[in-house]
Amino acid sequence: MSDFWLMLQARARMFNASVRSLSAVRTASFVFVIACFVGGAYYVFFRVFGYLTTVEVIGPALLDRVIEMALFVFFIMLLFSNVITSFSTFYNNRELDFLFSLPVPPTSIYLTKLLENCLYASWATLTIAFPLIVAYGITTGAPALYYPLSILSVLIYMVIPAAVASTLIALILRVFPKLGPREVIMISLALILGLTYLYVRINNPNLLKIFETENEQMLLLFAAQLTTVGGIYVPSTWLSNIIKGFNGNTTVTVFNFLLLSFVSASSVTVAFLVAKTCYVRSWLSSGEHTSKESKRRSLLWKPQRQTARAIFLKDLLIFVREPTQWVQLSIFLILLVVYVMSLRRTPIFFTFPLWRTVVAFANFAYISFVLATLGVRFIFPTMSLERAGIWAIVSSPLSFRKILLTKYFFSLTTAVIIIEFLLISANLFIKVERGLYFVMPVIGLFVAAALVSINLGLGSKFPHFSEDNPSRIAAGTGGIIAALISITYVAISILLLATPAYNYLSHTFMARPVNYLLVYAGFALFIAVSICAIFIPLRIGITSLERRDY
Amino acid sequence: MSRLVVRNLKKKFNSVWALRGFNLTLDPGEIFVLLGPNGAGKTTTLKLITGLLRPTEGEIFIEGTDLRKDPIKAKSHIGYVPDEPFIYNKLTGREFINFVASIYKVSRVDYETRLAGLLKTFDIGEWVDELSESYSHGMKQRVIMCQLLLHNPELILIDEPLVGLDPKTSKTVRELFIKLKEEGKTLFVSTHTLSFAREVATKIGIISQGELKFIGDINELSRISGKKDIEDIYLKLSNANDGVHR
Repeated sequence: MSDFWLMLQARARMFNASVRSLSAVRTASFVFVIACFVGGAYYVFFRVFGYLTTVEVIGPALLDRVIEMALFVFFIMLLFSNVITSFSTFYNNRELDFLFSLPVPPTSIYLTKLLENCLYASWATLTIAFPLIVAYGITTGAPALYYPLSILSVLIYMVIPAAVASTLIALILRVFPKLGPREVIMISLALILGLTYLYVRINNPNLLKIFETENEQMLLLFAAQLTTVGGIYVPSTWLSNIIKGFNGNTTVTVFNFLLLSFVSASSVTVAFLVAKTCYVRSWLSSGEHTSKESKRRSLLWKPQRQTARAIFLKDLLIFVREPTQWVQLSIFLILLVVYVMSLRRTPIFFTFPLWRTVVAFANFAYISFVLATLGVRFIFPTMSLERAGIWAIVSSPLSFRKILLTKYFFSLTTAVIIIEFLLISANLFIKVERGLYFVMPVIGLFVAAALVSINLGLGSKFPHFSEDNPSRIAAGTGGIIAALISITYVAISILLLATPAYNYLSHTFMARPVNYLLVYAGFALFIAVSICAIFIPLRIGITSLERRDY
Repeated sequence: MSRLVVRNLKKKFNSVWALRGFNLTLDPGEIFVLLGPNGAGKTTTLKLITGLLRPTEGEIFIEGTDLRKDPIKAKSHIGYVPDEPFIYNKLTGREFINFVASIYKVSRVDYETRLAGLLKTFDIGEWVDELSESYSHGMKQRVIMCQLLLHNPELILIDEPLVGLDPKTSKTVRELFIKLKEEGKTLFVSTHTLSFAREVATKIGIISQGELKFIGDINELSRISGKKDIEDIYLKLSNANDGVHR
């Protein structure tokens, strides 16, 4: 165990050194961005929860369901992110060669890696969970003890998915030692998805149904049926019971806290025992895996006539062969498709044309914000991921302008396909007015072009060539700056487009005269801002790449 | 026309001078070996010539083209092998070779035959179709050598060519360098392997603390240092504070 503490101390020292190496400006901007994000999330939760408590009859019940649902979704997301990061933390990690060569028990290595993986896979979810818990406490007037105990419960809670994910991967590798990372992650995710679906279907089938009624009695019945969203056997229910119990039922809180702690400790114990018997073997077998690619089936089986095509194919191959990349993108896309499909059946509003148009604009704003997030996660790290081959590119007769523009058009094509698919299909489901069918996709093109440029340009301005994990690259200071600028651009665009949108709505549904000057000014300013957002970051990126040392 | 001309090249990292006024002229058919202790400035010099670092001062001309003014044209004449042979982990060796060949617009006529010949020369087996994440240092080095020769550059810059190579491949590399020299190529090699310098170099430079202490052929080295053995010569000249001979 002393080895475990020794390795933990070494990690703490490394973290301390990396924090100290940050300049005051970088630290301040990092703290500012995180504070903005957490503060913004708190504000949104506080307003939503505040509103729900004022809704008669169904409000408080809905508030409880929202908390349960959020914690259940967090649990599934934590499982996913732990599975995705587990392989690279426990197996495909250069540091392990060194650690296993030391006279240290493998279980100590395993425990250190478990903690590392847990923190790494959970921090993003925590930044949403903490403001949610604080907003709930303030809205419901919870006592002072609520805050430390709830936060402690969340920390205990996040250990469970980390232990489950690492155990699952260790067992799969033990049973199927010849599987590569792609197959192991696919099997793990398929298992989690399948089991979650089955569990929800058996335990709470109403959760999978789309609710369609305006009848108050039916609403109450529906809310009652949704009691304990995840069912009593999942940790999210125990955590939500801890949180809710502070409003009068202390016994419930204490019981669920003990239950959560016991299960958390048990999951770590099981993970530890599994690791004791098969971690070393699983690690050794993962090192023996070699991915042989078919020469003729490869996209780069011969040299390409066009350099741009070669860069595109190289990027595509690397993306497809990196599970952390395509798995996360697939999850994002599946969630987006589910969201768009759900728009088809949001019945209360859709009988009114005015609401249809409002929902269409809200949908546009939402999709733009999602694209901004996707951009930071997948486009921002693009240039940094050249780390291994940057010497080959920089020493070759290839201009940075060409490299960046090739990457730009590759990313833009993908972004345009995603945003146009989401906008057009959502508008079809919502059945918007005819004019919007044409206007929104055009606006979407500008938004996609600007967001891709912001992320690619700033990713080139703040590259992270020493890091090979795209998630960590995106989570760095540069990624946060890119996220902030992307969100600011989307917010400004929405504000500028609000004027033409308001004019359109008041003219169409209230027969008011159109102020064409404001309409044209709104569109013109949006186009001007978008053009700046397209050209300036790319220029900054190219100049930065040309002026840096490699 | 000289193949490489370097004039008063200087590089400063923050407040530390890594290179202080490096001058060199290389003609076709020369093998220049740069010797020096760790941190002397060998890799910095090579990276400056390949464009991976920006000089603080000085000029670099490759085939008469100013690297700063027309980097694309200048770089079209060079081939570079870094000391740490990084390849994209998720590409196979063959895909990496094909990718670099695309950048250099290597002729597709007889491409497969030429590639097969080079794979054989460097003893690269079927593992060339495995992802490079499983390669050793030496395997990566061989793949990079292979891609380098495929685009047939006039000026070849190699940082530590023998590190990680097995004796057989080391011998192949030595023989290959001599063959390339005979074909009129120019090689700029940085190394710690003194025997390699003795065997292949037509010109040797000794660098220490960012300064080129000596430049000349092996006979001049021997005369100046008063030593015969290459190791003694190196130790004496790399520690010398004066005696810069150009």
